[in-house]
Amino acid sequence: MGRKALASVLAVAAVLAGCDSAPEPAAESAVLRVLAGSELADLEPVLDEAARVTGVRVEFTFTGTLEGTETLASGEADGAFDAVWFSSNRYPRSLPEADRRLGDEVKIMRSPVVLGLPEAKVRELGWDRTRPTWADIAEAAGQGRFTYGMTDPSASNSGFSALVGVASALAGTGDAVTPDQIDAVAPAMTRFFSAQKLSAGSSGWLSEEYQRRLAGTAPGPKVDGLINYESVLRTLPTPLTVVYPADGVVTADYPLTVLTSASADARAAHQRLADHLRSPETQRRIMADTYRRPAVPGVALSDEFAVRDLVELPFPATQDAMDALLRAYFNELRRPSRTLYVLDTSGSMQGERIAGLKSALVALTGADGSLVGRYRGFRSREEVTLLPFGTVPGRPRTFTLPPGDPAAELARISAYAEALTARGGTAIYDSLVRAYELLGDPDPARFTSIVLMTDGENRNGSPLTAFERELRASPSRAVPVFTVLYGESHAADMTRVAELTGGEVFDARSSSLAEVFRDIRGYQ
Amino acid sequence: MKRRLSIALGVVLLVAVIGVIVFDRDDETPTRDVVVRGVIGSEKLAFFRDERVREAFAAHGVTVEVDTAGSRQIATTVDLAGYDFVFPSSQPAAQRIQRDRNVTTAYTPFQSPMAVATFAPVVEVLERAGVIRDGLLDVGRYLELARAGTRWDELPGNTEFRARKSVLITTTDPRDSNSAAMYVAIASYVANGNAVVASQDAEARLLPELTGLFLRQGYAQSSSAGPFEDYLVAGMGRVPMALVYESQFLGRQVRGDGTIQPDMRLVYLAPTVYSEHTLVPLTDPGDEVGRLLTTDDRLGRLAAEFGFRTSDPGVFADVMAEHDLTAPDLVDVVEPPSFETLERLLDGIEARYS
Repeated sequence: MGRKALASVLAVAAVLAGCDSAPEPAAESAVLRVLAGSELADLEPVLDEAARVTGVRVEFTFTGTLEGTETLASGEADGAFDAVWFSSNRYPRSLPEADRRLGDEVKIMRSPVVLGLPEAKVRELGWDRTRPTWADIAEAAGQGRFTYGMTDPSASNSGFSALVGVASALAGTGDAVTPDQIDAVAPAMTRFFSAQKLSAGSSGWLSEEYQRRLAGTAPGPKVDGLINYESVLRTLPTPLTVVYPADGVVTADYPLTVLTSASADARAAHQRLADHLRSPETQRRIMADTYRRPAVPGVALSDEFAVRDLVELPFPATQDAMDALLRAYFNELRRPSRTLYVLDTSGSMQGERIAGLKSALVALTGADGSLVGRYRGFRSREEVTLLPFGTVPGRPRTFTLPPGDPAAELARISAYAEALTARGGTAIYDSLVRAYELLGDPDPARFTSIVLMTDGENRNGSPLTAFERELRASPSRAVPVFTVLYGESHAADMTRVAELTGGEVFDARSSSLAEVFRDIRGYQ
Repeated sequence: MKRRLSIALGVVLLVAVIGVIVFDRDDETPTRDVVVRGVIGSEKLAFFRDERVREAFAAHGVTVEVDTAGSRQIATTVDLAGYDFVFPSSQPAAQRIQRDRNVTTAYTPFQSPMAVATFAPVVEVLERAGVIRDGLLDVGRYLELARAGTRWDELPGNTEFRARKSVLITTTDPRDSNSAAMYVAIASYVANGNAVVASQDAEARLLPELTGLFLRQGYAQSSSAGPFEDYLVAGMGRVPMALVYESQFLGRQVRGDGTIQPDMRLVYLAPTVYSEHTLVPLTDPGDEVGRLLTTDDRLGRLAAEFGFRTSDPGVFADVMAEHDLTAPDLVDVVEPPSFETLERLLDGIEARYS
């Protein structure tokens, strides 16, 4: 379950293909250390089989596309990994410093990023009879005729592909979209993204939360569909009907790419593994088990794929164009965020802990200039409330970031954070209840969420049960709470709060608070 | 050749001490073996990994291990330490490596003209538009469409392929790959009024148009195997026209592996250029590989089976005839511009990517 306390959603290291006690390893055994997109976790059985046949065991470390690109470009991947395996190499190839570290790439499978809706909704929209264009989809979205969830484009390739695809299609020139065309397509894109009611830092959490809301086990409003890979939409417990836009899609092609820094042994292992994965039998197995399309000439697409020949939208080649799109998405196009931070400033936070909190907040005001950090700060049009607490809830302070350049307001947030001091007790649930009061009934035009960071147990004021009662009394107010484990926080209670509110638990005990705050931004 | 052999044997004796097994050449009894490593253009990977090719090399006591990279990458960014030869897909790239590393030897065992892999419906649309005539794609007419920014769904009478995408040939990334450089050679010749570009004035004048042919496509792959594989796997919607080496298409037809579907077509460019696959040895064992590729009959025949036009045209013609294939004698062939001019054009295009 995705409900387990995650070390960090974006950097979970997992050894997937375990060494089953194969009686006779067919080839020299080797471990291939692969930096990969987390959606590859579903290949585990295929990779187990590959390990038995080829002797090459894959050791995954999961990351997002932008973060992985940064790891490559900075040189940190050299020596630490033998290969990368993202859903696409388009982004890393656009950065010379990352590009030059990529060696042989071998495409393993394909899956287009598309819109999935329940069959009844597709019929209602008439899209079972005529395939809509992205412009038609944007139009219907703007009219509120359907809602959807999508991953944060700076965290996950599915969201990123959708953003670029929609922009290219709406620009309609037939060419890769350029930065100077974004203004012209902004109104239609804003309509399109107005229907995005759910955002997530990972593709896995997105589909789980979608299903929880559908089943009523999470309190957030139900969302009609998802923008995601065809493979994800079709393998949900209740598969969605896939809408293939007539003007085209952006397709992930999963290139298993050896690094130029890899040893000769690793290169040989990469080739053995890639050859096995591209064998017709394995290609057919991947297709049957994961609903991804084959990548090898001569392996026919099964009849389950109703729409076979998809137009591929041009994807910009320059980092300029991609960055301009990401900037526009966060600061202009998507629904603005309403974000409230409930921050433990009790006595136990003194010293390093409060310093960590300060720098985590300051990083969100633009101090984090990393590839990913640039898109994870507070954004134009966002409303941010900081609510520090000790023995009682402190005085909230709200910052409203204007459209356009928010530098002045960011500076004020930064100054406020720097002035935080640690003293007093720990009134977690009184403060959380106060946060709910402050937010009132969430404005549907905004993404509203709470971050709860505490380094200890509740010592003052009302207990968790009081918060649960409040929540039951006014379910319409349910705002997801992203809880952060820090210091000696009570993991079980924090998990409970996240579960009750449709949030998620993040662990800052093993990574820095700044990293966790940055990751949570993908959900806000 | 004798002298080179004795040097090679001298090396072999030393190497044998540290445990590398090498074949004995006289009676072809495999007693000893040299492992030779090279970097090649990806379109030759299938050839080098073929079991029969490996056997043909093994008969001479040679095991060839290859890594692939774009030809321009080979000439510029790839670290060549530890490699015995490079085998890019064109003379310009090979010449650059020769110059940079002071190597005078080079082998050109096979060549292949640039062509376009496409689909029957696309051919019909382009015939109607006057771009394809008698199986040849008129590059001049094509450039007119590209210049106007015409989309497929804007072509008159087009009912076959109404994609809302510009009429553009899918190429590799010009920053990395030789096939894209060959495309620049062809397009620059035609856009220059059917004359090889030979002045910096002409370069400056043509650069915007040439840049558009690439940047408008958006993301492009770094090696020519990429777009051709997309063409084979994902079909017309993804890649209506792929710039390929003729050998990529013919090789698959010869093998009859079922990957060339009935509606797939190979269309030649008019004019076109020949890509001359040129091996530059970096060590003596690397030199041996170049020599074998040029002189060994079995390897020559295998190269033809992979669709390459061999230095002995009879070998290639025989293989085509045996498989009921026709590879026309192309008359409208132009020379690429000089190495310096081509590099400057490519650098100019590259500068527009950032």
